[in-house]
Amino acid sequence: MLDVKELSVSYGSCTVVDRLSFHVSEGQWLMIVGPNGAGKSTVLNAVTQGVAYTGTVSLHGKDVKKLSSVQRALQIGVLAQNHFVGYEFTVEEVVRLGRYAHSSKVLAGRKDEDERAVDDALALTGMDALRSQSVLRLSGGELQRTFLAQVFAQNPKLLLLDEPTNHLDLVYQKQVFELIAQWVKQPGRSVVSVVHDLSLAKAFGSDALLMNRGRLIAEGTIDEVLRPEHLDPVYDMDVCAWMREMLSQWDAMDNV
Amino acid sequence: MSKHPEHFQLIEYVIFGLVTLAVMCLCVCVGSVSIPLPETVRVIWNALIGHEQTSGLSNSIILSVRLPRVFCVALSGSALSLAGAAMQGLLKNPLADGSTLGVSSGASLGAVLAIAFGVTIPGLPFSGTMIMAILFAFLSLLVILGLAYKLDYSLSTNTIILIGVIYSMFMSSLMSIVITFASDKIQSITFWTMGSLQNSSYKNALILLVAFLLCGGVLFLHARELNAFAVGEDNARHVGVDVRRTKLTVLIMVSILIGVCVSIGGTISFVGLVTPHMVRMVVGPNHRRLLPASAFGGAVFLLLADLAARILLNPRELPIGVVTSLVGAVVFVFIFYQTRKG
Amino acid sequence: MFKEKKMILVSLGLSVCLTAGLTGLTTSADGGNADGVSITDMKGREITLEQPAERIVALTASDCEILYAIGAGDKLVGRGTFCDYPEEVLEVPEVNSGEDMNIEEVIALDPDVLLMSDMAQTEEQVQMLEDAGIRVVVSEAKDIEGVYTAIEMIGALMGQDEKAAEVVDSMKDTFAELSEKSKGDGTQTVYFEVSPLESGLWTAGANTFMDEIATMLGVKNCFSDVDGWGEISEEQVLERNPDFIVTITMYYGEGPTPTEEILSRVGWENVTAVKNQKILNLQNDELSRPAPRLADGAKLLYDFIYEETDETTEAASEVTPAEESAEAGD
Repeated sequence: MLDVKELSVSYGSCTVVDRLSFHVSEGQWLMIVGPNGAGKSTVLNAVTQGVAYTGTVSLHGKDVKKLSSVQRALQIGVLAQNHFVGYEFTVEEVVRLGRYAHSSKVLAGRKDEDERAVDDALALTGMDALRSQSVLRLSGGELQRTFLAQVFAQNPKLLLLDEPTNHLDLVYQKQVFELIAQWVKQPGRSVVSVVHDLSLAKAFGSDALLMNRGRLIAEGTIDEVLRPEHLDPVYDMDVCAWMREMLSQWDAMDNV
Repeated sequence: MSKHPEHFQLIEYVIFGLVTLAVMCLCVCVGSVSIPLPETVRVIWNALIGHEQTSGLSNSIILSVRLPRVFCVALSGSALSLAGAAMQGLLKNPLADGSTLGVSSGASLGAVLAIAFGVTIPGLPFSGTMIMAILFAFLSLLVILGLAYKLDYSLSTNTIILIGVIYSMFMSSLMSIVITFASDKIQSITFWTMGSLQNSSYKNALILLVAFLLCGGVLFLHARELNAFAVGEDNARHVGVDVRRTKLTVLIMVSILIGVCVSIGGTISFVGLVTPHMVRMVVGPNHRRLLPASAFGGAVFLLLADLAARILLNPRELPIGVVTSLVGAVVFVFIFYQTRKG
Repeated sequence: MFKEKKMILVSLGLSVCLTAGLTGLTTSADGGNADGVSITDMKGREITLEQPAERIVALTASDCEILYAIGAGDKLVGRGTFCDYPEEVLEVPEVNSGEDMNIEEVIALDPDVLLMSDMAQTEEQVQMLEDAGIRVVVSEAKDIEGVYTAIEMIGALMGQDEKAAEVVDSMKDTFAELSEKSKGDGTQTVYFEVSPLESGLWTAGANTFMDEIATMLGVKNCFSDVDGWGEISEEQVLERNPDFIVTITMYYGEGPTPTEEILSRVGWENVTAVKNQKILNLQNDELSRPAPRLADGAKLLYDFIYEETDETTEAASEVTPAEESAEAGD
């Protein structure tokens, strides 16, 4: 569904993404991995037209540049890493913004369909009980689930995640990823996410894209890409050995 | 946290409307000269039914002095509050306001330039200053926001305030230069900068009403976009808001509102800051509710400030800006403290 | 905002009326020896000069007028920004006063004496001027008696005591004559308008020259309950319903004249002064500067108030345009 061809992004003389091409099909969960500064988040920004780029980004064969912002939002949803809401909006109000593209007509009244989508999204993310709570009083995990509910209510075909659980504790990490894993199972949907945690990538992703310094290093299924011969040069260390060592900390505990 | 309905309910319109009306009545009935209530009612009733009146003092005072002034004050308050509420939503910053950002100073400079160089539009005597004020309000917004984005993309409170202060100072020094060069117009300019709502007329009220209805209407139609901006500009883009178009539209509307108000009543600081803040505490941050409530709240706030200006030192009058700044400065510190704490 | 208000007041040459509290002064040249001069200025400071001042800088418009009136205009080597009467004064080099004063500029003019109003300059500035050998003399009249004192003091300073005495006597004679002739018993009221509706109404209340002269002419200032200059409510003017209106708004030849503007105000049509067209526009600060021309102002006001009633319709038109030409040019 998503086709990226020869995508390049530069900030001044500094090229952040260099002639990157990749493809995402329905049902895929593509994990974009790579060290800091690889240009991962910039790729997502280019797809949502948040940054100027050269090359083409097309969705179902249509150039995303030529879509109106509403048309784009009907296709592509984004869950960002951090959210700093300015005012005491309620959870429900934030989630309802997800329906903007569906009822963008200025005076559109509240449609049942919108209401249902909001209710479903709240229920799905377990935020129903907190729907009237001010978002300023939520924990980090609750806030992220609120925005997840928003993007669920938006009901896009393609969901872009930018390190959605970076600052969340383990429980929420698991919750959010499991919710997204459920979501992508519906026909016609795909996910592209940027993650740091290679174990998370491996556990949830179907495919992967390894980047370094703006360039594509490897692509393919998750198991093809997350291999020592690709990872070790990029991270400049024995990645698998390190992962095993980390895990062994827990093995030792089992033996006690 | 209490739950607010999505829309401003009819009953709320009625309540806010009645309160505003009551305050307007109060402001018509109370003034520097005391006129008995029945007399006031009689004068207004006669005027309403088009009855030819015996000319008299209370007639002149109520129909020629107080009523137009009350209309102008109420509409200025509404317009400035709407502008403030819209900017606070757009910039996701509760301290944004025409006066804190320096937009009002920019508008003043435009008007002073119009006076100094005799910019007029044939057939419309006041329009020169007004058009220049609007134009300069808009240019100021572009410059201020451009500068702010360059310096600090997240538009943090500190950046906004710093830029506002610096911009205001810059504008007033430019104004001093203009005054130096146009010394033959020094009196008109000085009188203009002292701008007062004492000179309110029904014509001014009508201009304000048109601007208020037009811009207020457009802003109200952008309530959902403003909500999205208030949650976050990136989030607004993600849910499908046309970020550039919305920004441009809101900024133009805000410029018109501030430009018209400045050209009619001079710089009245802090109205756009105080009212939306207070109103938000009552109706919540949703702009579908906040905008209409701010319009009412702004009218009430400025009417009461004007009433205080008119009667506190009777028979003297205080400039209305002094009263609003007194209240505004306190609220400003309060909001600043809260945003820092939160 | 207050600063701007203040600025316009100064610009109209009237800061004097606002500043409070002045000491009386006791002297003129009589304590001095043959050509030495010893005076006490209007702030109570003792000042002694070896001889009358030959070069003088005057910062306030009224002091310039006094200098010319006592025939010492040729000694003026520098003037404040707002000094504009008589016309010759405009040829004298202009110096900034207040915080914008350029001390070097003043010193370069090499004056013996600098005349200023109280609090026009900071202590430090005064000290610097004194250190440079310039004697700073404060002239600050807040009532007509104070104007006499100022004239006599400046006369002594310039060695023109006799001429100063003449000027004072002439003023006293004029006032005495006008006061004598005035038939008013204080029942008729006058409203002095210092700034027009456009910028908020300001009036001159008690303790202003306008108030003092109105009282002298037997009419009551309808805002005598306001002290000094102040912004007042339009409603109050309508209620107090003055018999006469005196406005000192300047006219620049565009739009309605100040008189026409007042006549056209909505809601004012029932004010007695408007009904009878008893509006006087004084363009040249005759009633606002503590200078010898106060006598002229008093005369103009007398003529305006005590014209024969059947001529009233011409009153307004007669006074406005005649006054404007003299200094609209600057």
